[in-house]
Amino acid sequence: MTKLLKFNNVSAGYDREVVLRDVNFEVNDNDFIGVIGPNGGGKTTLIKLILGLLKPLQGTIERMEGSNGNFAGYLPQQSLIDRKFPITVLDIVLSGLMSEKNGIARYTQADKNKAHELLDRMGISKLASRTSMELSGGQLQRVFISRALISSPRLLILDEPNTYVDNRFESDLYQLLGELNKSMAIMIVSHDVGTISYFVKTIACVNTYLHYHSSNIITEEQLAGYNCPLQIITHGDVPHTVLQKHDHLHEHPHD
Amino acid sequence: MYRTLFCKNTIIYTSIPMTDPLSFIFSYDFLRHAVEAAFLASISCGIIGSYIVSRRMVFISGGITHSSFGGIGLGYYFGVHPLLGAALFSILSAIGIRITSRKSEIREDSAIGILWSLGMAIGIIFIFLTPGYAPNLMTYLFGSILTVTPTDLWLMTALAVVTSLVFILFYRTILYVSFDEEYARSHNAPVETVNYLLLILISLAIVLHIRVAGIILVISYLTIPQTTANLFVSDLRKIILYSILISFLGSLSGLALSFYLNIPSGATIIFVFVLIFLVARLARTLRNRSLMKQSLEG
Repeated sequence: MTKLLKFNNVSAGYDREVVLRDVNFEVNDNDFIGVIGPNGGGKTTLIKLILGLLKPLQGTIERMEGSNGNFAGYLPQQSLIDRKFPITVLDIVLSGLMSEKNGIARYTQADKNKAHELLDRMGISKLASRTSMELSGGQLQRVFISRALISSPRLLILDEPNTYVDNRFESDLYQLLGELNKSMAIMIVSHDVGTISYFVKTIACVNTYLHYHSSNIITEEQLAGYNCPLQIITHGDVPHTVLQKHDHLHEHPHD
Repeated sequence: MYRTLFCKNTIIYTSIPMTDPLSFIFSYDFLRHAVEAAFLASISCGIIGSYIVSRRMVFISGGITHSSFGGIGLGYYFGVHPLLGAALFSILSAIGIRITSRKSEIREDSAIGILWSLGMAIGIIFIFLTPGYAPNLMTYLFGSILTVTPTDLWLMTALAVVTSLVFILFYRTILYVSFDEEYARSHNAPVETVNYLLLILISLAIVLHIRVAGIILVISYLTIPQTTANLFVSDLRKIILYSILISFLGSLSGLALSFYLNIPSGATIIFVFVLIFLVARLARTLRNRSLMKQSLEG
């Protein structure tokens, strides 16, 4: 088991407000961590710290190999993206190689082939020359996953991936993540505890403090104990996990 | 047969043989210069304008344009070349807007509003304080493609070359940073360098083309051809190429029309730009409708 990332007593925030306090946290390869917590609890801040977009106010973050280039790929919240920006799908995927190219190096045919392969794997190879404007939310989601994967990261981070995805792709997505987890660690951020806890191996509750729960089964009482007030929502077909569903855990969601 | 060529405050009387327009154009320096200026403006503004439109920076560009008037006023007052003052003012205000909205609680559009009017106010005060009459003032407000000087053309050539080189060499970095700044930052891309370099290029493009289109109208070169191109293509590279083409054709036909109708050239060019846009919009609607019909029948 290789350690990819380690937070040592990290506190972080913006302006005068401290959003995260004394976080101690580790990510190892093949981890599959669900990050849950209320809005404003610090989930996004945690992601920004991991990606190096925000510096901690206190404490240190150790990253394996020290670079955040190939280290992590992430799937942004789609609300932060300008859908009308004139860029092709192929270019979005290639932009995942930015850190390797350093602004100067050319993009080779091999890079483009790799991008096409990923699009093919996502089942959207026909969309390569379309622009972001012409895609549905679910298609764009797959493009962003391809962008995150093209640099072969050790850690894949998904920020609220189920917001824009239709139900059908959602189950495909989780199956895909299961496969990817064999070769990389995955962190998935969601306010929807019920859906993600079925797939993840462990859970991190973030509400100013971070409580790590080394199993994917969590009860409302435990959540309350972690000071992580969340409703466990249940959706018709989509599996949800509360303690009682224990025996279903290793079955396929749509069997 | 006599016609007047409007250059706003300069009226040139000339006799015109209507038979051979091409040899006629090149027999007059000012007309040759106008065609060259239209060509150079189309290249620089085609590229920079596509960036502006893609990143939704039209309003900040308007702010940069108007605040440059402050530099023109100071230039007159202190006896430096007004374009130098304008360049300095527009670059400083562009960077000022960026920093203010990043580092403080002032929203970007509010910061633009403040610097926009401050620049105009400074310009008006210093032009008032300058002894004597400021003869070319109207040229800066409305511009005239017919009065560009060889010096202007050299500067415009330099800008067109630099802008083209920057976009050819760093196209993908510019594209990727513009599309998703945060992802670029997480990959250690030179996000701030790209942003500030492009802000400086925007400022220079605006200032150098104030001579051609004027403070009030220069935004047209940076938005109308690009929006027209965007009706048909939505890949930044293609938008750039199409808008250079549309911009050059529009400028030439606007120039010709202004000449035959005996009306101001700058305004006519913009009118032609909008006309091309409307025709393109109509063509696209008709095309989409027939495509829809085909797919319904097929």
